[in-house]
Amino acid sequence: MSTPARILIVDDDRDLVAALTMALSGRGFTVLAAHDPAAGQAVAEAERPDLILLDVMMPSATEGFHFVWQMRRRDEAYFREVPILIISAIHQQTELRFYPESGDGTYRAGEFLPVQGFIDKPIDPEDLIARVTHALELARPG
Amino acid sequence: MIDLPGTGRPPTLPPAAAELVARVAWLIRLRWLAVVGVAVFFEVARRIFPVSLGLVPLYATLAALAAFNLLWVLVLHRLQQPQREGAARWVRALGRLVAPPVLEEAGADRETRDAALFANLQIAVDMVLLATLLHFAGGIENPFIVFFIFHVIIAAMLLSRLATYVHATLGLLLVAAVAFAEMHGLLRHWPLGGTWGPEGYRDLPLVVAQLFVLGATLYLSAYMGTTVAGRMRRREHESLVLSGELAHKAEILERICNRLEQSERARSRYMRKVAHELRGPLGTIQTALKVVLADTLPPSSRDMVGRAERRAGELAEVTQDLLALSRARDVAAEAALTVVPLAELAREVVEEQRPVANRAGVALELEIAEPGGRYRADPQGIEQLLRNLLANAIRYTPSGGRVTVRLAEGPAGVRVEVADTGIGIPEEALPRLFEEFYRAENAREFTPDGSGLGLAIVRAVAGQHGGYVTVASEVGRGTTFTVELPLEPVA
Repeated sequence: MSTPARILIVDDDRDLVAALTMALSGRGFTVLAAHDPAAGQAVAEAERPDLILLDVMMPSATEGFHFVWQMRRRDEAYFREVPILIISAIHQQTELRFYPESGDGTYRAGEFLPVQGFIDKPIDPEDLIARVTHALELARPG
Repeated sequence: MIDLPGTGRPPTLPPAAAELVARVAWLIRLRWLAVVGVAVFFEVARRIFPVSLGLVPLYATLAALAAFNLLWVLVLHRLQQPQREGAARWVRALGRLVAPPVLEEAGADRETRDAALFANLQIAVDMVLLATLLHFAGGIENPFIVFFIFHVIIAAMLLSRLATYVHATLGLLLVAAVAFAEMHGLLRHWPLGGTWGPEGYRDLPLVVAQLFVLGATLYLSAYMGTTVAGRMRRREHESLVLSGELAHKAEILERICNRLEQSERARSRYMRKVAHELRGPLGTIQTALKVVLADTLPPSSRDMVGRAERRAGELAEVTQDLLALSRARDVAAEAALTVVPLAELAREVVEEQRPVANRAGVALELEIAEPGGRYRADPQGIEQLLRNLLANAIRYTPSGGRVTVRLAEGPAGVRVEVADTGIGIPEEALPRLFEEFYRAENAREFTPDGSGLGLAIVRAVAGQHGGYVTVASEVGRGTTFTVELPLEPVA
């Protein structure tokens, strides 16, 4: 990595943002933070981060999803391609349904939301770094 | 006293009145038989015996009996619908004509009193018609004069003691009236002949003797009938009261059950909300501690933060379990149903737990003997159920042991079996095993880990899917949990 990758964290939990910032900046990433989806959109627009960490539970789940769809619907390639990793405890006990109500039996989260992956809370910093690095590598052109 | 709104029922007769109305209906059916029986008897009698019966008036009287019976049928039909007051008012007015108010069943409800008046009215009319029939067929000479006994017995069965004696008296007076009217030429005498002879009906001592015999018979019948019927009616009343009380108690119980169910649900929802609220901050605490631990720290700080992180982890686990438990209890399975590839899900959970098993030196096997179908189920719940059973089995199996997960077709649908060669569960712990926060003593001695909620979740999820869990265990040999899930396969 020649220039440090810039990562936008969109999360209303400021303490979590602080912890993640510490973990990421310790590994040389530049961290940007936004505490609500609107601010997240604005920062993404202005700063074009290399990756977005999005908390889907802020403050209601739909808002986080809405953020994803809004980004992906834009014409500009950047918004359609910037890797988004979702931070949540959705793999555990939530009522969020990422899979169709009925259908072919596929229920794995992530296949229906256009994001690059999910990171379970609580977040293990090593795991976070690995996932972020991997997503950035996949997104790197060429 | 629990009182819930909206438990109103359409008006029905009180039990005592309903019982009486049913007997009146029986009386009406009996009367149809009597009409037919008497007509047949007339036809036979006038062919066999050379008597001059007043056939036209006899048939006219019989027709009147039939006509009245038709009327009774209509009135009965109305009486069975207590919301239609009109019929009852008619019955009451007519009934009072023949039965003075003292004959009304004292202390009874209005519907019962109406039904009693109705019965009084019928019996009185019947007796008048019987007296008329007898008049056209020999009057006092007619041996069928004793048939008044039936009216008295019916009165004893249906009505009060007083009413029965009144009807016995009415019968006696009617016959006496006919006899004296015929004796004095006020009414024509239709002779039957036979033992009475042509002038027998004018023989005062004979007539009085006949009336005496009739009176004695009727009063004795009234006495015997009311005594027996009284005893039966007391029993009946007791059983009516008892069944009424039982129905009332059943209703109360049902309401209490509903209340309990509601409060249980409310409790689950509350638990869920609390757990949900705890989870967010806990996740952040854990993450923050993990981030700090990833940094370079002086050994004493690392130790402290490490302890805090472990404890936060335990707390998160309990929170997670509480959420799972309340979810399984609160969410109807229907709401969460989707298509679950069961074998695939089991494979995933087994692979997820394999590192844990490897660390513990426990061999982990998955045997899939069901056709690998996909079922309508709650994936989160089923996954939780599998994970909890598997994690438990690994946790309580010493190094060198073996844990086997089996999926098979069961009697109800799918059978999930998790067998281990672990420490086993003491027999005295079995009854409490599925209780929340319960951990058997040997389990607590073996490892401090475990919230004591895992099996409660397993049971709740099984219940949510209409299934159940059983356990077989032997201390020192191992444990097998069997979950029978009546899952619906999806083509």
